Amino acid sequence: MFGLRLLWRDWRGGELGILSASIIVAVAIVTGISLFSTRLQQSIVAESSTFLAADKVLQSSRPVEEKWLERARDLGLEQAQVLNFQSMVFSGAEGLGEYVPESMQLAAIKAVSNAYPLLGEIEVSEQPFSVGKKTSEGPTAGTAWLDSRLFPLLNLQIGDKVQIGEALLIASRVIINEPDRAGGFSGFGPRILMNIADIPETEIIQPGSRVEYRYLFAGDGQSLKGFGDWLNPLLQPGHKWLGLKNIQPRISKSIDRAERFLLLAGALGVGLAGIAIALAARRYSERHFDYVAMMKSLGATSGRILSLYISNLLVLASAATLIGCFIGWTIQEGFIIILVDLFDVSTFPPISLRPFAIGGVTALVCLLAFALPPLIRLQGVSPLRVLRRDLGASTASDMFSYTMGVGGIGLLMLWYSESVVLTLAVLSGVGLTFVIVGCLAWYLLRGGSLVGMQAGSAWRLALASMRRRGIQNSVQAVIFSLSIMLLLMLALVRSSLIEEWQIQLPEGTPNHFLVNVAEHEVSAVDELLKANQLAKEHIYPMVRGRLIEVNRTSIKKRLSESSEDTQTDMDRGLNLSWATDIPADNIILDGQWWAADSTEAEMSIESGLAERLEVKVNDTLSFQIGSEKLSVTITSIRQLDWDSMRPNFYMMFPPGLLTQFPATYITSFYLPTEKKKFLNKFLREFPTITVIEMDSMITQIRSIISQVSQAIELVLALIIVSGILVLVASVQASLDSRFQESAILRTLGAGRKLVLGSLVIEFSSLGLLAGFLAAVSAELSVLGLQEFLLDMEFVFHPWVWVAGPIIGAILIGSAGYVTCRKVVNTPPVEVLREL
Amino acid sequence: MIITKDIEKTVSTSEGDLCILKAINLSVSAGETIAIVGASGSGKSTLLGLMAGLDTPSHGTIQLGEYSITDLDEDQRAKVRAELVGFVFQSFQLLPSLTALENVMLPAEINGVANARGLAEKYLDRVGLTERVKHYPRQLSGGEQQRVAIARAFASQPKILFADEPTGNLDTNTGAHVIDLLFQLNREEGATLVLVTHEQRLAERCHRVIKLESGEIISDSKRAETVASESSQSTDSDSAIPASGVH
Repeated sequence: MFGLRLLWRDWRGGELGILSASIIVAVAIVTGISLFSTRLQQSIVAESSTFLAADKVLQSSRPVEEKWLERARDLGLEQAQVLNFQSMVFSGAEGLGEYVPESMQLAAIKAVSNAYPLLGEIEVSEQPFSVGKKTSEGPTAGTAWLDSRLFPLLNLQIGDKVQIGEALLIASRVIINEPDRAGGFSGFGPRILMNIADIPETEIIQPGSRVEYRYLFAGDGQSLKGFGDWLNPLLQPGHKWLGLKNIQPRISKSIDRAERFLLLAGALGVGLAGIAIALAARRYSERHFDYVAMMKSLGATSGRILSLYISNLLVLASAATLIGCFIGWTIQEGFIIILVDLFDVSTFPPISLRPFAIGGVTALVCLLAFALPPLIRLQGVSPLRVLRRDLGASTASDMFSYTMGVGGIGLLMLWYSESVVLTLAVLSGVGLTFVIVGCLAWYLLRGGSLVGMQAGSAWRLALASMRRRGIQNSVQAVIFSLSIMLLLMLALVRSSLIEEWQIQLPEGTPNHFLVNVAEHEVSAVDELLKANQLAKEHIYPMVRGRLIEVNRTSIKKRLSESSEDTQTDMDRGLNLSWATDIPADNIILDGQWWAADSTEAEMSIESGLAERLEVKVNDTLSFQIGSEKLSVTITSIRQLDWDSMRPNFYMMFPPGLLTQFPATYITSFYLPTEKKKFLNKFLREFPTITVIEMDSMITQIRSIISQVSQAIELVLALIIVSGILVLVASVQASLDSRFQESAILRTLGAGRKLVLGSLVIEFSSLGLLAGFLAAVSAELSVLGLQEFLLDMEFVFHPWVWVAGPIIGAILIGSAGYVTCRKVVNTPPVEVLREL
Repeated sequence: MIITKDIEKTVSTSEGDLCILKAINLSVSAGETIAIVGASGSGKSTLLGLMAGLDTPSHGTIQLGEYSITDLDEDQRAKVRAELVGFVFQSFQLLPSLTALENVMLPAEINGVANARGLAEKYLDRVGLTERVKHYPRQLSGGEQQRVAIARAFASQPKILFADEPTGNLDTNTGAHVIDLLFQLNREEGATLVLVTHEQRLAERCHRVIKLESGEIISDSKRAETVASESSQSTDSDSAIPASGVH
């Protein structure tokens, strides 16, 4: 009870305000970030999983064993089945009890079971090329949903019959988009969605038919992992166990980076919180030296002192944790309410207890690592301090405090980020910064007095104070620069991430491909697109060929030990193209592009494929094109951007080498949403050209990237709050001595304006220095993070070198002004009386 | 009650070792009041701190009551202080965030004494501050703060009271009232009083006056002898113990 009374008296006296506020804010930020980012990440992953229409997909070239599906059922996984194949479809008229086909079209057919889609929704409409609505159920048996362009191509209306194989199905709806549209070869050619129950009636699937079997699975992470672990050893060639990473590497990569960034932000938030608590606890401890000395002189033992303060700390921490968790939850709810138009909150999973546990454990570890060491110092205060106030605590215990602090924050970062690399990277960066910045700050601050002697009074006071508090100000400069550095680092990484994503998919990115364009149609297509003000990419010719030899060695022999994927890709054949000039976004990594009039048997290969085939410049490749064999020498290796939405080719040749082979042409163009009906006109004029619509997918990708960017900016805002807290706590640490000085100065005749002015100058100068040092450290740290953790190219950021010092001067100057106003507003007599 | 044998105190400074006390031997009986006097830097407060068990000598032994405190560690000495000792300080040493009542309650609370509040109220009443129990130190005058400090010292019912320049921060009149109160309570409680002071009139109220100079006892005289000695000195020269507590 005495302990609680002491706690209450401390609280009443304002002794615990800063410490408890630090703990509350630390817990609130950590809990808020964790709550929000966990829910958002889960939501993003859930939305991204709709690209698969499931959590996982088993893809096969033949039906899989029933016992595999039974196993999945036993594990509680939901299942659906999809068949993808191509077939001619017919439209006609019924007469004399017979259906007479009149028009036909090659279509990509997707037959789905009733449970499809397991995730996401299908977008359908009642009329071709019109606005769709979402549904979570597929077509019923006896019906089919057709791609918009099939209606003009087959001269169909909604409700007419379409013949697929031997089956007659009613074209009941228009399919606009389905979740896993980009998977398999359903992306090529106009699509039809039908029920899998109608497949036997079609009689299309026979032994030897080229069908892609996809088995969709959805469920909790543990069951999926369990199934995957059981399944993987059983997979044969032709089987693939697919997740988001395989199907949408761009999304997967973006989410990976976002997760790492959020984890980094969380880890840094923990670090800043820890510093704030350490500063507040240290100040609390120093202000209690007299308390402890008095209590010891009255008979309190060291053990009693320690148990008193530790139990009080635990009570305080428990209360602060509860309040902090509540505020963290409020912050997270607040963000969701504010951003209801930007985030689909219905997809947010329910709150789990993990973020609150993280907040609680964070508070406990911070207290043990940062607050406890200064309090342990208290037990070492000599009772003789009641007679000699110069006696404090030993500096040896300072080293213990720092060691505990670094250890504690390292453990927290490791637990929170689950990444040893990230933790070590941040700790090393911070440690290095501390040493380098500390030395620099000390050196620069020592030289301040020379400048100050010539200035006006407030300047002279400020610079004299900086010189007098050389060590203390160096430590403060380090803390300030660390805080600013961490904030700059986050801003830099966030900017880089967002810029890179936006560069990858800028506005105006081609969103439709034209495939199978005949040679005689090229000019007409070009004219039609130009007439409709539609910008297109270069039209490339395409010849189908198969790689058969590398350096005169059969490809089968060469790839016998190579990866199965490479073998499969080579078996399928390649699209070969030719061009006079190197495509705009291709970069030569080795060798040289050919001259415009080259007639040599040479070619250029994409760098990734070159690596897989283990070939280099001057190696020879032989192709089977039709019945002819063509051998060429590799004269260059290219790097290209597969995500550019432009036609890209593994193999390219100089003009003249392949022109004797029949070729079709391919290009891509950008079609704005409001001009979608142009496709009707296009398909009527060019019924044999395949149009691949990528716009929905691009919109989806852009939406996910936008969400991730927003999340990052919100998290950054939370971290900034944490950083400001550290700054305020750090300024507070020097408050006591400033009170004393101000009281004496004003007693001697100095005006409030002079004293406050000198304080603002002192803090602003410190901030300027800290900001400059922070810019140096931030740029170096970001270099390390981007190169080794985020897998991004380093870019120099000139704005940091201007923003850092300015932000430092403004932030620290303002924090100093706000915090130290009390110093000049308190009557000197009150201060002197308490001395 | 207090016996010191050959105690010395040496401290390390940047200029080398500094000997503050040399071969101090003295004995204080129970119920005695002694004044330790001397110029600034003579070692008075150091000697007081050693005798109270707040510090340990570099050499020698100190007996406090039945305890040989030089053989005890800090926690053991704390227990001895809790049992035997009370303090009054020059700078009052009241905790600013506690009210007058709470400051006086502190010793009893630390030692787990029942009815700490009742005890504190009693002693505050005895020093005439019943009306100010809920006031904070910053709301009290210097004299009032010292009276609170005296109430706190006696609330623990000490056997030995150590006072370090108790009137050092007070004006003459206030100081006189505080001293009257201190001696009155001490008589009533029957404690041994060890007083460090610059003031002659304060020293004269004690049974013994021990004079320190450069860390050594140069005189140890009882009250009647002190008066006679001072009278004799005053006819011989003008040098005397300063009459006021000005440092």
